[in-house]
Amino acid sequence: MRIVDLLSPDRIALGAQAADKASAIELLVSLQEKGGALTDREAYKEAILAREAQTSTAIEAGIAVPHAKSPSVARPSLAAMTLKEGVDYQAMDGQPSDLFFMIAAPMDGDVHLEILSHLMVLLMDPEFTSQLRAAADPQTFLAVIDRFERAKFGEPEEDTPPLIHASTPEEPSAPKYRVLAVTACPTGIAHTYMAAEALEKAGQKLGIPVKAETNGSGGAKNILTSEEIAQADGIIVAADKNVETARFSGKKVLFVPVSDGIHKAEQLIQTIESGNVPVYEAEGPVSAEPEQEESLGRQVYKHLMNGVSHMLPFVIGGGILIALAFLLDDASINPANFGMNTPLAAFFKTIGGVAFGFMLPILGGYIAYSIADRPGLAVGFVGGSLAAAGTSFATISSGATPVPAGFLGALLAGFVGGYFMLWLRRACDKLPNSLEGIKPILLYPLIGVLFIGAFMCLVNPIMGMLNTGLTSFLNSLGGTSRVLLGAVLGAMMSIDMGGPFNKAAYVTGTGAIATAAAAGAAANDIAYQMMASVMIGGMVPPLAIALATTFFKRKFTDDQRKAGFVNYIMGLCFITEGAIPFAAADPLRIIPACAIGSGIAGALSMVFQCALPAPHGGLFVFPVVTNALGYIAALAIGSVVGMVLIGLLKKDLSSR
Amino acid sequence: MVSAVTKVCNPMGMHMRPAQLFIKTVTPFKSNITLVVNGKEINGKSIMNLMAACIKQGTELEIKCDGPDEDAMLKAVVELIDSGLGE
Repeated sequence: MRIVDLLSPDRIALGAQAADKASAIELLVSLQEKGGALTDREAYKEAILAREAQTSTAIEAGIAVPHAKSPSVARPSLAAMTLKEGVDYQAMDGQPSDLFFMIAAPMDGDVHLEILSHLMVLLMDPEFTSQLRAAADPQTFLAVIDRFERAKFGEPEEDTPPLIHASTPEEPSAPKYRVLAVTACPTGIAHTYMAAEALEKAGQKLGIPVKAETNGSGGAKNILTSEEIAQADGIIVAADKNVETARFSGKKVLFVPVSDGIHKAEQLIQTIESGNVPVYEAEGPVSAEPEQEESLGRQVYKHLMNGVSHMLPFVIGGGILIALAFLLDDASINPANFGMNTPLAAFFKTIGGVAFGFMLPILGGYIAYSIADRPGLAVGFVGGSLAAAGTSFATISSGATPVPAGFLGALLAGFVGGYFMLWLRRACDKLPNSLEGIKPILLYPLIGVLFIGAFMCLVNPIMGMLNTGLTSFLNSLGGTSRVLLGAVLGAMMSIDMGGPFNKAAYVTGTGAIATAAAAGAAANDIAYQMMASVMIGGMVPPLAIALATTFFKRKFTDDQRKAGFVNYIMGLCFITEGAIPFAAADPLRIIPACAIGSGIAGALSMVFQCALPAPHGGLFVFPVVTNALGYIAALAIGSVVGMVLIGLLKKDLSSR
Repeated sequence: MVSAVTKVCNPMGMHMRPAQLFIKTVTPFKSNITLVVNGKEINGKSIMNLMAACIKQGTELEIKCDGPDEDAMLKAVVELIDSGLGE
């Protein structure tokens, strides 16, 4: 028994209009009559009404299943209807009903119970009901039922070919999800989820079920099962950092930047469905192959971001704890030991320091990991640690004072280590197969660590000089240059809201604080001031837009005004990405307005000498900002400027 | 937790009207109720779950109630089923 066999397109009415329960029933009975299963229309309708008189057959969630087991029914039959606007069907949960399945069952047998049970299994899945409600025509409606029935009850038996094949031959024996996707962005807060949503929505629009796994900062969600992967036509990997891809081996896989997942979702799904996508082959654990097609710049960006996104939690946790230590300490006890004077401060500072200690190794390690997969990790880690320590041949042999090579050194270690391991693995391919087993457990770690050790000892003095030079250059910047630096960093944050410019500014800021923290810089160090400009630059765009939607209501659609409110929260949490939908809708007006607002905020933050020791957190880290009042003023001024510019540039909707 | 095993005796099984009656009976209780039907556990407070389980006449049910008023709940449910679910 299958639902699709009991239903046919002429017994499905979509988006119908009914004033009340009685007229909804009348419509359904008329549909039911078309199938010829009723011997006596009026007797059937009376049985339906008699049943409703006992208790309503509305279940919950807008679904009603009027039914009658009656001598006026010759054979089991179904009719289905959706209403444009739900009617009061006296549901137990009080909700109006807009999705109806009407059952006609003959007197004999259990078929009525089976149909009911079968329907309920399907209707319990909210995905099923929402696809039914969204169906554009009866064929699509039937196709949705067919797909879910196959997924939940298995393929139909041979002797009962489903009707659906005749009406929609283009629906193959569809698996539940025809296209799968994995989305990931370096920060893992916004783009990841926006891309997943865009892809799933585009799939709905195209009538192609899409499931998207999000590899966000909180770990992977909505994870693709191996069964789903096996059944899918293809997989879209929309990611700006490395994601686990070995599981897709042998499938058609499309690799694109996460922004394509947001802006070109439909196109991507159609590409997969066209079949014009190369089959992805993971060689064992290696996943280097598809990356060769990407430009060098994009590869480097992706590896860098993989390192940065893994480093961030350490910087955030450590940075805030250290900042708290300064906040809670009393400098007058011993200024030279500031941050460690009271036991509580010392507690925070010590833990924060340990977390900070991992920053550079993690950065180097995960850059190398992104390049060369697992064999790269240890090499990058060791390289990053050596960069942090500033170890060189001179410090080892003659006890010279080490100069930490800082952020730049760790970056170099990650890239050099990673590409070295990639080369080493290719070089080792020539070795006899009998040595295969000892490669990962002996050759790679030994040769890799030895190499990176020697390399870092060699370059550390140079990187150390560069690092010191850069730091002293930044420190030597006069008032005007600092303000300009702040303006540029702030503006970069909002030029592409999460894209390469934004990330470049962000990495500059976090890199600066990582280096400054490693060197034990003072709380108002230029590095922390740079970070302050960066964060404020990223907070302005959503806030400016939120303010604009509040004060210039006529320039935005209803939906935008609602989304605008959320932007207050996004802005205060330093989630620049909240502004993207607005910027994407009207880039030429929104982006310049936001960039100017951000630039002004960044510059003012420098003017007020605000300093921020944490790389993220928005409003929540304001308590640890040096000169928080100035910071708030800078943020307010920047946001208001942005808002006013949006107001001036954007025209009223009605005048368009 | 308390539990009991019984059989559905009304000829039509757990179709919609008995299911509605069942839900009306269990809703006032605070405890959770789980039914084991043909080896599958279902939530006894969800009408869709109840109907989806396709409980026919003669189907054996294990009823598990867990919560502050589990005893009273179990008693009420067993009485309801044994009395033929209102039919």
